[in-house]
Amino acid sequence: MDILGLGSKVDVEFLLDPQGQRKQIEVKIDENKRSLQYIYYDGEDVNGTIQIKLKKNSKIEHQGIRLEFIGHVEMLNDRSTVHEFLNLSKLLTFPGELTESTSMDFAFQNVEKPYESYIGINVKLRYFLRVTIIKRFSNNVFERDICVQQLSQFPEINNSIKMEVGIEDCLHIEFEYNKSKYHLKDVIVGKIYFLLVRIKIKHMEIAILKKENTGSGPNIYAESETIAKYEIMDGAPVRGESIPIRLFLAGYDLTPTMRDIQKKFSVRYFLNLVLVDEEERRYFKQQEIVLWRKQEKDKDKSKQSAQQYAHYERPEAATNKSEDNGTGANSGENSSVNGPLSSENNSDIPSD
Amino acid sequence: MQKTADTSRGSIAGISMDNQEKLLAESLQNVRQHAFAMKRVLDQQSVMEGLKHAANMLGELRTSLLSPKNYYELHVVVVEELHHLELYLTDEFEHGRGSHDLYEVVQYAGNIVPRLYLLITIGHVYIRANELPRREVLRDLVEMCRGVQHPLRGLFLRNYLLQCAKSLLPDTEEENQEENKTGTILDSLDFILLNFSEMNKLWVRMQYQGHTRDLNRREQERRELRILVGTNLVRLSELECVNVERYKTIVLPKIMEQVVSCRDAIAQEYLMECIIQVFPDEYHLNTLNEFLKGCRELSPTVNIRNILISLIDRLTSYSTRDQQNIPENIQLFDIFSEQITEVIKSRSTMPSEDIVALQSALLSLSLKCYRDQFEYGNKVLENTRQIFDNIALDTQVTTGTQAAKELVKMLKIPIDCYDILDVLKLNHYKLVLQLLSYRERHTVCMYIINSILDKETIIPTAEQVTQLFDLVSTLIIDQPDGSLEHSRQTITNEDFVEEQNLVARLCNTFKAINDPDQQYHIIKTCQDTFKNGGLERMRFTYPPMIMQAYALTFRYKDIREQDEKWEKKCQKLFQLSNQLINTLTKLETNDLSLRLYLQGALTASEIRSENAETIAYEFFSQAYTLYEEQAGDTRAQCASLTLLIGTLEKVSCFGEENHSTLRQSLTQAATRLVKRPDQVRTLLLCTHLFWSAQRVDESTQKSEQIRDSEKVIACLKKAAKLIAQVMDQTAQVQLYNELLNSYIYFFNQNHPDIDINVLNTLIEKLQSDISKLDSTSSTTHTSSNDGDEFIRSQIQKTFDYLRQQSQLEKFQGLQINN
Repeated sequence: MDILGLGSKVDVEFLLDPQGQRKQIEVKIDENKRSLQYIYYDGEDVNGTIQIKLKKNSKIEHQGIRLEFIGHVEMLNDRSTVHEFLNLSKLLTFPGELTESTSMDFAFQNVEKPYESYIGINVKLRYFLRVTIIKRFSNNVFERDICVQQLSQFPEINNSIKMEVGIEDCLHIEFEYNKSKYHLKDVIVGKIYFLLVRIKIKHMEIAILKKENTGSGPNIYAESETIAKYEIMDGAPVRGESIPIRLFLAGYDLTPTMRDIQKKFSVRYFLNLVLVDEEERRYFKQQEIVLWRKQEKDKDKSKQSAQQYAHYERPEAATNKSEDNGTGANSGENSSVNGPLSSENNSDIPSD
Repeated sequence: MQKTADTSRGSIAGISMDNQEKLLAESLQNVRQHAFAMKRVLDQQSVMEGLKHAANMLGELRTSLLSPKNYYELHVVVVEELHHLELYLTDEFEHGRGSHDLYEVVQYAGNIVPRLYLLITIGHVYIRANELPRREVLRDLVEMCRGVQHPLRGLFLRNYLLQCAKSLLPDTEEENQEENKTGTILDSLDFILLNFSEMNKLWVRMQYQGHTRDLNRREQERRELRILVGTNLVRLSELECVNVERYKTIVLPKIMEQVVSCRDAIAQEYLMECIIQVFPDEYHLNTLNEFLKGCRELSPTVNIRNILISLIDRLTSYSTRDQQNIPENIQLFDIFSEQITEVIKSRSTMPSEDIVALQSALLSLSLKCYRDQFEYGNKVLENTRQIFDNIALDTQVTTGTQAAKELVKMLKIPIDCYDILDVLKLNHYKLVLQLLSYRERHTVCMYIINSILDKETIIPTAEQVTQLFDLVSTLIIDQPDGSLEHSRQTITNEDFVEEQNLVARLCNTFKAINDPDQQYHIIKTCQDTFKNGGLERMRFTYPPMIMQAYALTFRYKDIREQDEKWEKKCQKLFQLSNQLINTLTKLETNDLSLRLYLQGALTASEIRSENAETIAYEFFSQAYTLYEEQAGDTRAQCASLTLLIGTLEKVSCFGEENHSTLRQSLTQAATRLVKRPDQVRTLLLCTHLFWSAQRVDESTQKSEQIRDSEKVIACLKKAAKLIAQVMDQTAQVQLYNELLNSYIYFFNQNHPDIDINVLNTLIEKLQSDISKLDSTSSTTHTSSNDGDEFIRSQIQKTFDYLRQQSQLEKFQGLQINN
């Protein structure tokens, strides 16, 4: 709602939801600034009323009033590059003169909104309505952002993530996350099995990392941000222990995973499993998870409540191992290690 | 609710106690601050803020710096503060205001320790408010606690869980259909058993964390924490739906599995003990085999002895308490016997004291639970002996060792719970006793005798006496391995005296009731045994035997109507006694044998069997001979002579011939004494031999008093003459007084030659002597005043008596000053 100095004569108000039925969301514009925005989904109409308010006894001569619905990607480190992927335009009034405040209804039918609104570190994907009162010298421009959320279908394939990692003769663990794709209100449930422990572990945590990649070619910017840091184990386990993981996502500021949006940017999420030993050495393994937005339905409530105490159950016959954790059955298949644990010896500089 | 300050992590090594105090104080201070903040915002109905402060408070429990004891202190305070939160939330639910998402909300806490404490607290509240299904939440909590793998923090966390779950554990067979999945007893068992095994694992792990030089401290700390693990077992035992069957099929196997697999001696010892103590006796009775099998699988360093003993003792006291009987179908003894054998076999390094202690417990069990089945106890004793023989045949257990001490304890058990006659039936008892060295054998034998005396057990047959002597022979005859002790076996050694006095007293318990012949056998048995004991022991052992022999003659006399041979038997007894006393005469003092002879003479006189006079004379003459041999010790001689005189006065079986010989000998002996006063006094006693002493009239065969008044007067006069020769005036006066008393006696006895004038003469003499004595003593020695005083009061008493009597007609003419 850009109220410019010279707009003192005129103001524009967007009435998008006269019945007050549309959900609103508080969007974090930057560190200090938040705004309430209406939520729209792909294919939904965007309609409403524009109120043009004139100050008393003033009049505006114009070359026409235009309404646009725009979707674009702004690269924040390069203001000049704005990539529009959507621009619908309507002429609300032919050129003439406004002498009093007036309202005009409008409707964009079945608007395709292919992407989710996003405000990142280096990139912004915005949808907004823009009213332009065209004038001879400088136009009066009014904008109103809306928030678009991209609902996804249940993923058809959603395997669990299971991986055995380790440092040879030092630490072998096997971790399992119940899914590879999580919706934003989902719960990550999993387990860590300790197959070999020869280092003195102090604690273990799981972190959600958000990686935002922008640009292409030589101008790639990669940003990594720790969204959540969550201790899942205190103290040193011994061989054979299995440690439960249960991490609720709803409480964190997450977006769906975005890949190659307009060939301009990607936002991806990783689970980072970190083990810290007594010398503050950190051993970690990152694993990408896909986040998606699920349509919220009331019937999910009960399901959600059961998730409060959900535990990871192994799907197949491997269950006997979890019961036998007292003795740490270490059968042959476990001895191969799929991937190495990364280790960084940075007791001075914490990794995040 | 992200995280609290990360300062508290660090190494526990090298922290001084001062520092500990300080750290604890700081932590407590922080806890109080956070708790205060929490309560303040809760008062303002701000649950979320309250949870945030609670999480901060719980952050203090993340410390690694405190010792277990101080961590406990901290934990107590935190849990107490946490209780406020719980009460607040419960209250909210009761007023229908409770929020429904807290169980999820608290799971956002970044640090696991505060998160789990909060989760447990909320879970507790939610289950009570029926907000979430009980079964699921309990399962969730116990599983989620796996996240804390730090032993100390994990133990306390799970302890808190157990504490909260206490009132929530379902204890029903059937699930309550109406309510939110309440769960059944099986869920409770799963919950506690899982919590138990996790806690035990953490507890065991403490042993292996840290430097080896701190091992002792760590073990100490572990012992302080053991109750935390044990509480799980207590909780299990409190569940009402746990019955014998369930205990046997679910509870015990699961506990055992954990106990055995943890392979940690401290844990195994404690937990086995715990199982024994917390579960009811009936359970143990029905799971003996399972439990004992578990025992065999314990780590070799576990002190299995204490565990087994504890179980045996528990079952023993169960069976002896309230007349509870061990069910017929449970072969308690056989099971234990077998299992203990197995245990001993499987542990070749088991010290022998432990083996003995186990056998002791088994013995105690067999004696107390199967009182009538001697073969059980006997079998245990046999096995014990066998075990030692297997180690080294016929070798004694070194004195002072633990094994010896345990054996002593073991041998005391039958003595305590049986009387000796039953113990004698355990024919292996002796064989085990023989395993011991001299000192321990001595201890046990003393214990046996003391027990017999305390219980006043009567030993009725010669056979049993023989067995008993066989058992306590250590005290009765010299022992080949007791050579060091021999030198000490004299009358001057108090211990020896005490020991032999006990043996002597033991003889008094040998009583063949209603069977004098048996009693005779007993006496013979005693003689056969005691004669090997050496002179020093005979001093103690013979007298009771002789007295028993005398006593037996009276019993024979009592049944003389039924037993024709009674006189012969008495004769035999007297002969035996004579022989025995004769042996005693070899002792350095004659007093004992002299008295025994005199007693024999008296007895013979009382019995009046056919040849009583001969026997009595023999005994008396022996006594007199001993008296004569006593020369040298004037005081002893005087005392002995007094005894002789007294005895002769009482012995009534002598004819005139024997009697006159004896009385004259004694009278002469009296005058032959060295000291004048002794002469006087014995002579005065001799007067009775001529007066009230009895002899048998040859013609009538009746006893009659001698009444020889002339001799009496002669003695008295002789005495008076002797008194006149006494130099010491004080003594003289005293003797005059005694003489006067004798005269008064005979005056009262109507002696024909003693009249009131004789008395008057003596009184006058005495009075004048006293006044003389007064004048001299008041000027000369004052030191002998006490003696004087005594004499004066003696004389005074005599005079008082006379004054009283002077009223009587008989005493008319008595002249005595007032």
